[in-house]
Amino acid sequence: MSTYKFSPNDIFYNRIKTFPEVSFYIYDRRVIYNNKGVSAGQFVSNVTQMTGPVTGGFISLYELNVDRPSDSLIYPFVTKDGSLTAFKTISTTAFNSDFAYGEQINGSYPLTASISLDRYQADQSRPKIQALKTALNSYQNLSYAYAYNSDFGNKATQEMRLISIPSIFYGSSIKKGSVSLKFYITGTLIGELKDDKMNGELRQFATSSDGVTITQSGSIAGVVLYNEGFVILTGSWPLSSHTEKYLCPRSATPGKPRWIDFGYTGSNGSGDCLNVNLPSSSFSMIFSGTNYVPTLTMLAHASKGELNHSNNPTYKQYGSVISQTSSIGTTQFVESIRAPIVNVASSSFVSSSADFQKITFIDQIGIYDDDKNLIAIAKLANPIRKREMDDYTFKLKLDF
Amino acid sequence: MATTYKTFLNNDITSTKTLLHESIPLTGALVSGTYGTYPSGSNIKNYAHGMFQSVYDYPYLSSSANHIFDITCGYAPNSPLSSSDSNISVQNAKKINIYNQMAQVLMGYDATGSILRFDEDGNITDGGTKIDSGYFLNFSRLLSKDEIKKGSFTMKIGTGSWASPMSTANVAGDGRVTIADTNAQNDYRVNSPAGEYGILSMSVGYDTEGPVTPKVGLIFYQAGIIFLSSSVFFRTSQGGVLQSNADTDMTMAGNNNITASFTGSLIQDAANNLRHRIDNISFNNTTELNSTIHFCRINHNDFNYSSNPTYLSQSKIVVKNNTQDAPVSYITTVGLYSADNELLAVAKLSEALKKDPTNEMTVRVRLDY
Repeated sequence: MSTYKFSPNDIFYNRIKTFPEVSFYIYDRRVIYNNKGVSAGQFVSNVTQMTGPVTGGFISLYELNVDRPSDSLIYPFVTKDGSLTAFKTISTTAFNSDFAYGEQINGSYPLTASISLDRYQADQSRPKIQALKTALNSYQNLSYAYAYNSDFGNKATQEMRLISIPSIFYGSSIKKGSVSLKFYITGTLIGELKDDKMNGELRQFATSSDGVTITQSGSIAGVVLYNEGFVILTGSWPLSSHTEKYLCPRSATPGKPRWIDFGYTGSNGSGDCLNVNLPSSSFSMIFSGTNYVPTLTMLAHASKGELNHSNNPTYKQYGSVISQTSSIGTTQFVESIRAPIVNVASSSFVSSSADFQKITFIDQIGIYDDDKNLIAIAKLANPIRKREMDDYTFKLKLDF
Repeated sequence: MATTYKTFLNNDITSTKTLLHESIPLTGALVSGTYGTYPSGSNIKNYAHGMFQSVYDYPYLSSSANHIFDITCGYAPNSPLSSSDSNISVQNAKKINIYNQMAQVLMGYDATGSILRFDEDGNITDGGTKIDSGYFLNFSRLLSKDEIKKGSFTMKIGTGSWASPMSTANVAGDGRVTIADTNAQNDYRVNSPAGEYGILSMSVGYDTEGPVTPKVGLIFYQAGIIFLSSSVFFRTSQGGVLQSNADTDMTMAGNNNITASFTGSLIQDAANNLRHRIDNISFNNTTELNSTIHFCRINHNDFNYSSNPTYLSQSKIVVKNNTQDAPVSYITTVGLYSADNELLAVAKLSEALKKDPTNEMTVRVRLDY
């Protein structure tokens, strides 16, 4: 087998940037992620076993326990040994006191991620917002609306809604200009927020009286932290004359819909009444993530006069005695003259053999490391005929 | 961006390996009868080529479905089941090819280039009993991961009548036999080109010499493949290993014995027959987690100053009250750089560590892959 070394001009490193769109639709304690409903199984009501205060909207990390009864779940475990390895859910104290060496430490599946919505009343304690203070202030050069304390309000005390989006949903960052939040009452759009200026400001667009045209009112109702995956909503003006009990406790007087009430029934987080219905309100959040795909492109050359011999046994005529008459010594290998190569050259005439040509068919290319270990194989959809006069370049692409 | 770098010495970097396992239970209901009426099922996939049957954990047209395993069967060219008469044996060539292909991959070749047949005890050089026909269960990589954990595999098979395979006590106990790789963690073979393998034995059954746990197949741990001998389904008087109260075989559809099933039916029908008798399967898988641990040793006079812009205000260190105080910094991040000072990885601390000339510390950075 011949091996060739890639020259610097044969290898290219690229990065493909993709923007997968993500959508969440929230209604009646259900979150529908990417328009995918919840499938019921034979043993459980949700085949992916992902449950919480709200139904749906989860990503399962491994998706192993599909439609399994509770006594047949797949679960991970490690054995306590000298490496002192355990799951993160096992505290150091529990690791030291609850498990003997050689004992099994169990985990559980599914491991899930979902959006989380937190509602903060005025002057309510908000450690998550405080933790974002530095990040918020660092984006003031994009918009003053980011500032932790400014004319747009003091984020330490004002009423607000925090939407936390795990990075598994968006990848490296949320794409600027792709965020859209829509508020519906009985299926009618009453307001939309967009970051149309791509500076993180969520500005309100409203449907005009014809019900079709979207006009911008210009009010800033919140900001998006693109890299960190947070949406902070502070807009507290009424969007409609409709009233519903958006406040917690539920005994409170019904109020008009505001942006800080966005996603009320889709909350797995704190600050909202769980297990409540808002029969008239529904919410949609759409954005695009940013995903990078590193790509390695390699050009493999089959030059003229090269790669025209094969070690494949079928390269020799059927019935040839190869092994018995070849001469192998310390300094030489003399191939048997009784093992002629099959002539596969095509003749232009009927019932006539063509002149002999050394022809091979290339059907795969192996990639080797410096130590000649085979590390990858590229297969061709169809074998390529290689005559001595042919000169080919194969383009190999590896995504990872 | 770091302004000062510290070079790792040889004893600052070490590698470790952690074994993570998963417990995989597969109930008989999963492989037969839950998603349709046996032998059909929306989680059972048959192919036009007819070489094997795939079992999923949910209807396979759903994006939620996971592939569990494939079932196929085969026999050796010199097996009594093999026949050149295609009228006698259905898919004869395919069944021989499957056996040969699996034997090539899992057992390899002898010195003459001939394919080695599956050996009952794995001792190839001693000759011994060969397993010339049986079922192959190829578990998906999703479940078997790096390898099946040695000594963890069990498979229960109902031995009752074809109509009620689980309910009739055809053997002692609950009427089921357990096939397991008992003690394989201490006793396994390494002479396979596909990695390590163990011997499957059956818990209930007798050979002609008395009560033993007969060898009934092989389990290839890294390949995730089970080879189950057809002798499991024969009673001892027929040359099998099944101790049957009523002196009956484990019959297949149409009350045929396993020989008739292997020769007279399609591979997918033979697979259906096995699924019908599976009570449950369970095993543990293994994933190797390789880690490199970097010990970042910070001496008393290291990293007591920061180049962070917020460290200074009006040319004074913010975190110092008096000019006579020792310099203080707070370590939040450890950057790992290449020899060319390219940033390769960043390790973040959950909370900042106070560093001043009075203390030394070692930050342990673990990189899993």
